[in-house]
Amino acid sequence: MKEQEILIIRNLSFGYEKRREILSDVNLSLKEGEILGILGASGIGKSSLLRIISGLEVPKEGEILFEGRLLNKNNLIIPPNKRGVGLVVQEKALFPHLTVLENVKFGIKGSKSKKHDQATYFLRLLKAEKFKNSMPNKLSGGEQQRVAIARALAPQPKLILLDEPFSSLDMNLRVELRLETKELLKRTNTACIIVSHDLDDVSSFCDKAARLENGQLKEIST
Amino acid sequence: MGMLSFSQLFWRLVTSAFFLFFIVPVIFVLTSLFADFNDNWNHLINFVLTGYVLNSFYLIVGVSFLSLIFGVGTAWLVTRYDFIGKDWQEWALILPLAVPPYILAYTFTSLFDTYGSANEIIRFIFSTSDDYTFFPNVRNLYGAILVFSSTLYPYVYLTARVSFINQSRTLIESGKLLGLDDKSVFFRLALPMARPAIVAGLALVVMETLSDFGAVEHFSVQTFTIGIYRTWFGMYDLNTAMQLSSLLLIFVAIFLIIERLERNKSSYSYAGSTFKPIKRIKLVGWKSYLAFIFCFTPLFLGFLLPIIEILNWAINYTSENFFSNNFLSSFFNTVFLGLLAGIICTTFAFLFNFIKRFEKGFFLKSISFILSLGYAIPGLVLAVGIIQFFSILDNNFIRSYFEFILTGSIFGLLLAYVIKAYALANNSIESGFRRIDRTVDDVSLSLGTSKLKIFFKIHFPLMKTSILTSLILVISEIIKELPATLILRPFNFDTLAVTTYIYAAEERMFEAATPAMMIVLIGLIPIFFLSRIIRESRPGSR
Repeated sequence: MKEQEILIIRNLSFGYEKRREILSDVNLSLKEGEILGILGASGIGKSSLLRIISGLEVPKEGEILFEGRLLNKNNLIIPPNKRGVGLVVQEKALFPHLTVLENVKFGIKGSKSKKHDQATYFLRLLKAEKFKNSMPNKLSGGEQQRVAIARALAPQPKLILLDEPFSSLDMNLRVELRLETKELLKRTNTACIIVSHDLDDVSSFCDKAARLENGQLKEIST
Repeated sequence: MGMLSFSQLFWRLVTSAFFLFFIVPVIFVLTSLFADFNDNWNHLINFVLTGYVLNSFYLIVGVSFLSLIFGVGTAWLVTRYDFIGKDWQEWALILPLAVPPYILAYTFTSLFDTYGSANEIIRFIFSTSDDYTFFPNVRNLYGAILVFSSTLYPYVYLTARVSFINQSRTLIESGKLLGLDDKSVFFRLALPMARPAIVAGLALVVMETLSDFGAVEHFSVQTFTIGIYRTWFGMYDLNTAMQLSSLLLIFVAIFLIIERLERNKSSYSYAGSTFKPIKRIKLVGWKSYLAFIFCFTPLFLGFLLPIIEILNWAINYTSENFFSNNFLSSFFNTVFLGLLAGIICTTFAFLFNFIKRFEKGFFLKSISFILSLGYAIPGLVLAVGIIQFFSILDNNFIRSYFEFILTGSIFGLLLAYVIKAYALANNSIESGFRRIDRTVDDVSLSLGTSKLKIFFKIHFPLMKTSILTSLILVISEIIKELPATLILRPFNFDTLAVTTYIYAAEERMFEAATPAMMIVLIGLIPIFFLSRIIRESRPGSR
């Protein structure tokens, strides 16, 4: 069966107030379960692109189609909480007043038992089940990042956006978590866009790669 | 960008309505400047206005000078030196903030008047004649300067201390290597670097001094606020009182601008990444005692002396007053109003900051900024504006439809309190929100969470301490408020501040002690929190 294109971005441009355009005429497409890596220097607009896809920023121009649904058209903008796109940021952003399990349960819809089972399942997949009752501040940086990824994947989004997810980890942990996350994405057939400034992150993790330069995305060979 | 959604429109309306109620009394006061100036101005200009202006000016100059000596001197000593009692003095030096100037004024006159306790003690010790007076009269400008400086210097102390602490040892050492002695280090390095912070603190002192009514009235110092009060209640001329209020408001606004500008600049003396905490010099012998006395003096004048006197009166002479109906009803009225205003301020501060987190518009930012300036408006000026605002509402709308009038109701008081105290609530709620990283919101939204759920499940539980702090700060501020309360309170509705004022005006100091003590005790609650922060705030002590 031919793989469906899950995300299509056409002629997207974006700029913050009083600043020049940082994204101009960006085009990309992503198939189900496909992993795209975006490379580029700091401040070039990689994170902004993820924020636009997740609905946290509004583009100036262009279209975003996700699962065949137009996410933005003129005044109609689907808010981030209605998009079903997962996001993991470098800062992890775990809710400090909730336990690990409660954090992962947070985005899951359904009955109590479904929330519990699904959250535990994803924690197990990310080898984080043993500290499910801990508070986030008791965990190491790597453990926190495992929980952040589990939390983003637990509602089973079709697309997950990873913003420099491994950059704060030491090399061994980075390699280990990269492998485990990739395996999990493939197992759940979740499409993913990862932005990083590290070539290793992209070459070992992604099916295809692109470089963001002068506001435009250029596909490169991995 | 796109059109506003229904919920965005709804919240804009709610916030705009709140803003309108907030700003209209001030606009009424200011627009009075465009009305006719009647004959009473001839009287004011020919006989009293110069006196009001000069007295206010002398008062500001005197209070600023003494507050600088008390505030900057003590801040430098506790930051730079180690001496007897330094550890407890470092946090105790802010205690005078719990004593409103008018309460200190009442205790000062009772102590230092001819037949006050202090002169009685001198007469007893030296067995002098009954009319011998040792201490000079304090019911004058000099007494007022001493009273304001003794209770308000902590504003300068707080800002100067933080600035001194954040000055890196490397800078001081560089100065010394360049040939500066200890005195020059202070005058040529530390003081210029701390100047913006000190000026910001001093601007607060000046604004509080200009706003005061109770203390200057007790000392019979004819300042601008007294002028407004007399024009209103002596000449029964609300319009001229509003015009005078406008002038005072413009004057206060100048100091507000100074405070804001300097506060923004004050970060330049702060430490960079190479920060090393200042190394303290140990003082021994007479120098150590001298430093102790220097720090103890303002603390004694501004806190210990009034506390001892009030406690003495309240416990030894009028302890039964704690159970009197008069005291209990004014206590409950005060707490009720404080709590109500606290809840309103906190709710709106929470709402504003929550909306501000998701909306980046200029509209909310500007509204929020203007609302946070309300603390600077003198209570008397607010009262003038609110009375005018409410009487227009009553005459044109309310009376036609309801059997109720706003003027003289509890709403006027509440409005004044909310305007005065909103900044306090906003500060603690804003800093609470700042501690929650924005990525938490982003991730919550990407998990499909609605803003309402983020409000209740994330922000609210994480902000419990900020909410409580906001409530405590607002209540303790409102309890002290006198001029607006005095004018706007409903008939027969007394608060602790009003009861204290009425007793003191009748020279019934023993009776005034009970409500005064309660005001100080409640005012001490946030001060203790603040002093705990001070104890833990020194770099290296964390």
